[in-house]
Amino acid sequence: MADRVLLSIGTRKGVFVAEAAKARRSFALRGPFGTGVPVYSTLVDHRGAARVYASSCSPFFGMKILCSTDLGKSFKETKSAPAFPKEDGRALANIWSLEVGAGKKELWCGVEPASLFRSPDGGDSWEMVPGISNHEHARKWEPGAGGLCMHTIIRDGNRVHLGISTGGHYLSEDGGRTFRASNKGVGAGFAPDPYPEFGQCVHKIARHDDAPGRLYMQNHGGWADWTGPGGPRPNIGVLRSDDYGLTWRSIAAGLPSDFGFPIVVHPHDADTVYVMPLETATRSCPGGAPAVWRSENGGGSWSRLARGFPKKESYFTVQRDAMTIDALKAPALYVGTTTGQLWIGRDGGESFECLFDSLPPIHNVKVTVV
Amino acid sequence: MSAAPVITLHVVGPLRAYCGGAARISIAAGTIRAALLELERNQAALYRNLCDETGAVRRHLNVFVNSDNVRDLEGVDTTLTAGDVLTFLPAVSGG
Repeated sequence: MADRVLLSIGTRKGVFVAEAAKARRSFALRGPFGTGVPVYSTLVDHRGAARVYASSCSPFFGMKILCSTDLGKSFKETKSAPAFPKEDGRALANIWSLEVGAGKKELWCGVEPASLFRSPDGGDSWEMVPGISNHEHARKWEPGAGGLCMHTIIRDGNRVHLGISTGGHYLSEDGGRTFRASNKGVGAGFAPDPYPEFGQCVHKIARHDDAPGRLYMQNHGGWADWTGPGGPRPNIGVLRSDDYGLTWRSIAAGLPSDFGFPIVVHPHDADTVYVMPLETATRSCPGGAPAVWRSENGGGSWSRLARGFPKKESYFTVQRDAMTIDALKAPALYVGTTTGQLWIGRDGGESFECLFDSLPPIHNVKVTVV
Repeated sequence: MSAAPVITLHVVGPLRAYCGGAARISIAAGTIRAALLELERNQAALYRNLCDETGAVRRHLNVFVNSDNVRDLEGVDTTLTAGDVLTFLPAVSGG
């Protein structure tokens, strides 16, 4: 079978799957599945026969993991979902991230309140990872506007990077057994100490296999004008690390705003990184004119990519997991909005086109070539 | 000791998949708390939809005995009598 591009789209009203031929001229949409229930995380797992996972987060009936073994034509619940031990006292409020683990079937899952779970069998059973879930800081983390969520899980051999809002960046160097806060250079705007040990509102972290020591972070920026204790904190929103997340430095200069949610790395060039700057106060497109910003030199400078986007009167938000990029030779960006539009940015974001304009509010977009 | 009264749990549509399609389940229980314990033992999948890991009724569910919301009675310690109908309904919220 020729390569197919598969998008999983987590929305406020269930999960959709869109499929296209490699040329990506048009996408056929399937769904919604898990109808009416918010989906904050999806995963296309192509170890062996492809599986599509989605977190189904019902405010009424609790959390479920959905799995499709037919490329998103149908979904079934796995045999169980992550759950805290009864004696723990915490209750799962949301599932924010799903990532592949080791071997052929291991899955990792980040949840709210911020904790990590691991499944050895493709989501049928789950165990809490105590090294971070019971970390001495865990009961001191506080929720951001979206809740106290573990939204980023990056595995790199024995290193594991976690992003927590609001907790910061945590690093394991022993495969996830133990973790430590690793936030040197990561600023916070909502506390008197601009550079605390932990408690930063990290929005997303990204990396590239070709440069494993380098990490990019979209942090909660927008504090340049702060006049309270600790003084202004310009450019703390977009950061880079070159030592596996031990230290971080700003790469926000040149952006119209250092506030945003997603950050995405080009699949074939670790120096090319994308962000979607938003106005701090409204979390929407600056001036009502959406644009993705791209750096081709690791954050040294930025250029605006807006061809095809509306030039005015667009005030959507792009959430932390709602921008992604495929791995084809001329990769395309995909941008999902809180107004239910899914945009494709062809040729690495040179030209945008709306694929679907009336989906439910989009929380999450993942793409893979199968 | 007298036998616990038998009450009827009315299962809302979205949850019937978790109890073999049943719309009603008979439970011998003297309180809502006892009914939940019974469900935890014998209808675990259904129970997980009604209660979180701590054993608390999920926050956005309202619990009714016949037509009375138990928040106006004794919560999960509300006494049940034979023939009562117990219903867990999603709160009208969200959009």
